[in-house]
Amino acid sequence: MRFGKALLYTILVLYAIVTMIPFLWALSSSFKTLEEIVSGSISFIPKDFTLDNYKQIFIEQELFPRWFMNSVIIAVTVTMLNLIFNSMAGYALARLQFRGKQTIFMIILAVLMIPAQVTMIPNYLILKQLGWLNSYQGMIVPAMINATFIFMMRQFFINFPKELEEAAALDGLSRIGTFFRIVLPLARPALAAQAIFVFMGSWNDFMRPLIILSDPQLFTLPLGLNSFKGQYISYWNYIMAASMVFTMPVLVIYAFFNRYFIKGISFTGGK
Amino acid sequence: MKKKQWFAVGMSTLLFGSVLAGCGGEEKTAKNEEKSEKKEEQVEVTIAGWGGNPMEQKLLKQTLDEFEKTYPNIKVKHEVISDQYMDVIKTRLIGGEGPDVFYLDAFEAPAMIGTGVLEPLDDYVTEDFDINDFEKPLLDAFKGPDGKIYGFPKDYSTLALFYNKKMFAEAGLDVPKTWDELREAAKKLTKGTEVYGFGAAPELARLYYIAESKGGKVVTDNKASFADPKVVEALQPIVDMRLKDKSAAQPSEVGAGWGGEMFGQQKAAMVIEGNWAIPFLQETFPNTEFGTAEVPTIDGKKGTMAYTVAYVMNKDSQKKEAAWKLISFLTGKEGMKIWTSKGFALPTRKSVAAELGYDKDELRAALVAGAPYATVWQNGTNLPIIMNNFNNQFVSAFLGEQPLDEALKKAQDIANKEIEAK
Amino acid sequence: MFRRQRWKEAGTAYTLLSPTLFVLLLFVIGPILFAIYLSFHKVQLLGTASFQFVGFDNFTRILDDTRAKIALWNTAKYVAIVVPTQTMLALVLAATLNAGLKGEKFFRIVYFLPTLTSSAVLTLIFMWMYNQNGLVNHVLKFLGLPTYNWLGDPSVALNAIMIMNIWSTAPFFMVIYLAALQDIPDSLYEAAELDGANAWHKFWYVTVPYLKPVTSFVIIMGLIGTFQLFDQSYIFSGGSGGPNNATLTVVLLIYQYAFKSLGTMGYAAALAFALAIVILLATWLQRKFSKEESLY
Repeated sequence: MRFGKALLYTILVLYAIVTMIPFLWALSSSFKTLEEIVSGSISFIPKDFTLDNYKQIFIEQELFPRWFMNSVIIAVTVTMLNLIFNSMAGYALARLQFRGKQTIFMIILAVLMIPAQVTMIPNYLILKQLGWLNSYQGMIVPAMINATFIFMMRQFFINFPKELEEAAALDGLSRIGTFFRIVLPLARPALAAQAIFVFMGSWNDFMRPLIILSDPQLFTLPLGLNSFKGQYISYWNYIMAASMVFTMPVLVIYAFFNRYFIKGISFTGGK
Repeated sequence: MKKKQWFAVGMSTLLFGSVLAGCGGEEKTAKNEEKSEKKEEQVEVTIAGWGGNPMEQKLLKQTLDEFEKTYPNIKVKHEVISDQYMDVIKTRLIGGEGPDVFYLDAFEAPAMIGTGVLEPLDDYVTEDFDINDFEKPLLDAFKGPDGKIYGFPKDYSTLALFYNKKMFAEAGLDVPKTWDELREAAKKLTKGTEVYGFGAAPELARLYYIAESKGGKVVTDNKASFADPKVVEALQPIVDMRLKDKSAAQPSEVGAGWGGEMFGQQKAAMVIEGNWAIPFLQETFPNTEFGTAEVPTIDGKKGTMAYTVAYVMNKDSQKKEAAWKLISFLTGKEGMKIWTSKGFALPTRKSVAAELGYDKDELRAALVAGAPYATVWQNGTNLPIIMNNFNNQFVSAFLGEQPLDEALKKAQDIANKEIEAK
Repeated sequence: MFRRQRWKEAGTAYTLLSPTLFVLLLFVIGPILFAIYLSFHKVQLLGTASFQFVGFDNFTRILDDTRAKIALWNTAKYVAIVVPTQTMLALVLAATLNAGLKGEKFFRIVYFLPTLTSSAVLTLIFMWMYNQNGLVNHVLKFLGLPTYNWLGDPSVALNAIMIMNIWSTAPFFMVIYLAALQDIPDSLYEAAELDGANAWHKFWYVTVPYLKPVTSFVIIMGLIGTFQLFDQSYIFSGGSGGPNNATLTVVLLIYQYAFKSLGTMGYAAALAFALAIVILLATWLQRKFSKEESLY
């Protein structure tokens, strides 16, 4: 038994090291001078610790802060809209009786099965017709609902106690009023989990901005970072510094909300 | 019942979509009906190009500032597209958001001219723009099949041999004049896997002139023809240098991003690079002492590549007058002089070249000397497809995964299949 | 009265559903119909836009397209290796974490880091480590193993992406397993112990069978994800799928035909449908194979 425990700990610690190394390596590289990077040294402690790389990317790249803002604006808006709209749809599908309910439910299920690549090309053409390429709304509107989370919210509301709504109805609240005032506030854990996932999805998305945005002014961070690589192919110190700036906010959010992550995953995990 | 519903959903989508699209369309035309430009009215012209190093960016900014001083009513908005330049430009032109003026590499010019998105510039040209001042082959690279000019070359670069002075001195070698001498020198300069004699760039853009040095043709009638035994024979030495002599490697094999970096890190004693490598090396690797020489001859014949980039105008531009003013300033004598004054790029005008005297510059003389006999990197509308397939297979032959003749045969077949399917 | 009630309820429902229906119609169902239309046409957008009907040409062209075959082969290789590996790794990690050791929370947080990080960032970090004289080769050299030109050698470039993605997605599935593991009733284990089972037996005869539906879900999610590999290939190869098509995936090929080369957008739409069919087939096979009801 003693031996078994030791073995398990060994596995855990080894894998933790494997997980951490790339991050630590990137972090340490971001504080190194180009000279040290080029010389191919593999010390995790920078020889001459420098903050120049960080200064450089903010000074040389006046667009860098902009990319950051674009990412924030898009991710926050998409998250807000998703929370409201997915919950509304999930609630209607869970609680209300109406004609066409089955059809709509089937369509949402079908959407889960269709790979994004099929709709990617026509969506580009539709956005082009609307004049929404290179715009915030082109990034936000198509992403403001998410079939997976409509599904998840429906599951949540099916198991939601009916008594509260009945009480509210007796108080003369309308269905929609009940939903916004009573039901939604009580759905907080489901909403938090959803918020985190939608936010991460939008923050880290690469393909959609790649297709929709071509103006560097409107780039989101992943796109900006990739173009950065194109420009600074040999300046790994800058690339690593930029990568760190990009990753920090997400890690901070995670540190604060990590219990919701687990909840959210259990929700999506077909529970 | 079910069917009907589906049908209704489909119909309403289509209707709804077309209504929205209609709105969008109307808005667009309204936006496009800008008032024609009057004197003294402020206009903003957008110019797009790929990024360069920070010094180059400053230089361009300086040129653009000078332009704004000359034409106070025109503001220039400069956009840098640093990655996948051509894709982004195409996408923006399709989306109706193209810049007014943009860079175009000679290599992409035939296909771009063929689509009809560029404005022919002949009617704008005035006497004092002095069109005959341009080096003819470089200007011809931007002529369409209709004989019209679609762009004016802003600068060019050829290839030259860069050699590490210290390594050559240590090995007691002279700078190679012929390709055979280069091969021998490379053997002597190689130190295991630490230093390679020659840093090779296994791509068509850099090998084109070598491929055709024995009388074969890479492209015939806008189709790939590089599986010709004469082309294989010409390219075989490059592959042999890596596999037999073990005296050549590509940059990624030593962890470098490109030839200039490989050379700067002292992992290659010789590379064949262009003008762009000079400021890069001086800035990033000040301790690597190097010299340049003309590219070694093959069978007594001189050869090198010339790459040139032009400013072109978007046919859909709403500000063509101002856009032309910008192009004519940038490729005119004054603008070109500012832009090429620091030696980041070579001037395409004979008068500017004479004035700046790069033909006497210690490092750039070899590059200027190559201009008269250089092959311009351009051939028909299908060269991008041909290049992609060539590069794909040539690399694998270079790494010894398949014999060169088979690799090129495969690449040629795939390329031609792709061209036929177009 | 009763009918009015029903009308009202339907009205409420459609009000709540309106944003969803709007997006579904305009950006999902409409585009699917549009994609069908595109796949039967030759689409030229640059210059004068034209849509020329070509019947089934786009579909027959797939069969004759060498690069499409290479892309499908690369993608299949990738799926066949990554899905089982990451599923197994996730299960082992989850079971280890669930063994009631100290510091479970800490390990969980550490393991989860890659899932949070953007694919663009991870790919760049790994490219830096995969460099010829980068960290990975240094470690290999130190251990006396052969080193590789990870980014430039066609025979290993795809493996480089596989390793990176297994590393970054396994922890996500690990958390799904972890949630399920905590639901296993202790009585099952106790019964097994009475029968004299050791830790390994318990894992193999109690844990694994109990987790079957979750495994099914994890595999289907894995299939859908791996078939759609794009970001990493794109960033790794600068959009080209090189060296020598080694990192060319189906989605990258679709992207290239749609947005890089001119006049092949219709063909790209046809390829996208082909991919959708392949994914549906793969998930359907998996479901038949495991005979389990999962989320889908």
